[in-house]
Amino acid sequence: MRHLVFLLPALLLLLALPDTRGRYNDDFDDGEDIAEFDDNDFAEFEDVSEDPAVDVEKEPPPRAAPSSTPIEDDEDEATVENEDSQDEFEDADAQDQDMYSKYDNEEFEGYEKTNSPFKDTLIYREVPAHLQNSWESYYMEILMVTGLLAYIMNYIIGKNKNSRLAQAWFNSHRELLESNFALVGDDGTSKEGTSTGKLNQENEHIYNLWCSGRVCCEGMLIQLKFLKRQDLLNVLARMMRPVCDQVQVKVTLNDEDMDTFVFAVGSRKAMARLQKELQDLSEFCGDKPKSGAKYGIPESLAILSEMGEVTDGVMDNKMVHYLTTHADKIESIHFSDQFSGPKVMQEEGQPLKLPETKKTLLFTFNVPGMGNTSPKDMDSLLPLMNMVIYSIDKLKKLRLNREGKQKADRNRARVEENFLKHTHAQRQEAAQTRREEKKRAEKERIMNEEDPDRQRRLEEAAQRREQKKMEKKQMKMKQIKVKAM
Amino acid sequence: MYWITVVAHLTYPIYCLTSYKPPNTETNPTLEDPTPDYMNLLGMIFSMCGLMLKLKWCAWIAVYCSFISFANSRSSEDTKQMMSSFMLSISAVVMSYLQNPQPMSPPW
Repeated sequence: MRHLVFLLPALLLLLALPDTRGRYNDDFDDGEDIAEFDDNDFAEFEDVSEDPAVDVEKEPPPRAAPSSTPIEDDEDEATVENEDSQDEFEDADAQDQDMYSKYDNEEFEGYEKTNSPFKDTLIYREVPAHLQNSWESYYMEILMVTGLLAYIMNYIIGKNKNSRLAQAWFNSHRELLESNFALVGDDGTSKEGTSTGKLNQENEHIYNLWCSGRVCCEGMLIQLKFLKRQDLLNVLARMMRPVCDQVQVKVTLNDEDMDTFVFAVGSRKAMARLQKELQDLSEFCGDKPKSGAKYGIPESLAILSEMGEVTDGVMDNKMVHYLTTHADKIESIHFSDQFSGPKVMQEEGQPLKLPETKKTLLFTFNVPGMGNTSPKDMDSLLPLMNMVIYSIDKLKKLRLNREGKQKADRNRARVEENFLKHTHAQRQEAAQTRREEKKRAEKERIMNEEDPDRQRRLEEAAQRREQKKMEKKQMKMKQIKVKAM
Repeated sequence: MYWITVVAHLTYPIYCLTSYKPPNTETNPTLEDPTPDYMNLLGMIFSMCGLMLKLKWCAWIAVYCSFISFANSRSSEDTKQMMSSFMLSISAVVMSYLQNPQPMSPPW
């Protein structure tokens, strides 16, 4: 072990020698001999490292007392060499450092040593969400699907509620209808009316019932217009603006079942709206809706009438009682012999005839509950159906006196005249175009005629007709002139 | 045209039976509710946008439109139209996710 300790520095020295030689070559440019350098080197080191060498010398001799002299020499040399080697190494390191710093400064001019922030410029890219294996990133999709499920649930619940309400209404009214009408419930699929005894579902929120087979009327169509409970958007819209379910009854009468008049009673809002929208009310009931207080009905109801006699005739005690008791449920009641539906917007090429009219009684009732209706509320509409039946029978008997009839006839004539005036220009144009079409057709026929003789004859006949027409016109003009004179 | 049957009975007065005639909506367009038709058309437009422009939100709105159209539809309406609109919107959603499986990002 001691041998190894002394041999190692020697080995290291042998290895270090060529390096030191090289470095000294750089430093000393005088070109001195290498051997001289070696001696000087060691001399330097010997002078410097005397004390530690002495200490070191003291140590090995007591240890190596029995050892031979070459070993002692080795130890001396070894200690010095050790120190030399150590110093050399130290110097070498220092020199290296100096060299490198000098080298850096000279080599890289203008090089600014920055604290390389390699760690700060590292960018952490996020893993794309669809590769993350987590459902949380798909929260929008989950929201959408939840919304769809909510819509489907609302559809099922709304549809069922509407169906239950319709069935409740029909169950409470079935007896009354079947006692008054021979045919209750016809869907129109068969040629002859067959009583199905069921409501006809048009929509998820509209149910129809056709009743027929009664004296005094042609037929009665009842429409249960419920709210769109099956549509979630509509449900949300109704939260802002409450609306109620409605029952519409339309009774069509035969010509002999009703006299000629127009009359309406209902809530003020409804009356104002109907007067603007409906053809017959706007033409025959030009005055503003009057308050019903004069006849004993609540202030909330207004009356639109063609003449005062009609109002007096309709508003008998029983009618007033019905209106007073159920004022909150009555939206509008409309009796008209000139009913043709809402006003048709006039466009170019519109029909030049007056719209078809039918003697009709229209009732619109509001179902109580303002949207939150329960099947039990349907029973409260039964008295209103009684009112409908009563009205049908009453109007059969209601007849205007002579003055009233004359006034009514004058009104109708006035409306027809106005209509003809408005459409006069259009009718003239239509007649002109028809005449031109006829002429063109005739000319074509003459041209297509192959036989020249026949052609000549047809042309002559057409010319004669034209001449006759001109003569007639001239005669008319002369007559007008004579009359004017 | 509707059929009138005159029934005479010994004890009851004469009355007429008239069969039901559905109202003609061509002459009176105000009677018809246009919601299902508009929603159907909107649904198809959004489906095409979703498919062509690869927009996921368009495809989802198309699905909603077809559902709303179905909810408001009349019983007499053709179910084939409904089904085709519905299938188109579902295909738009599926195709947009196949092309780009990333989740939808909210607009905010």
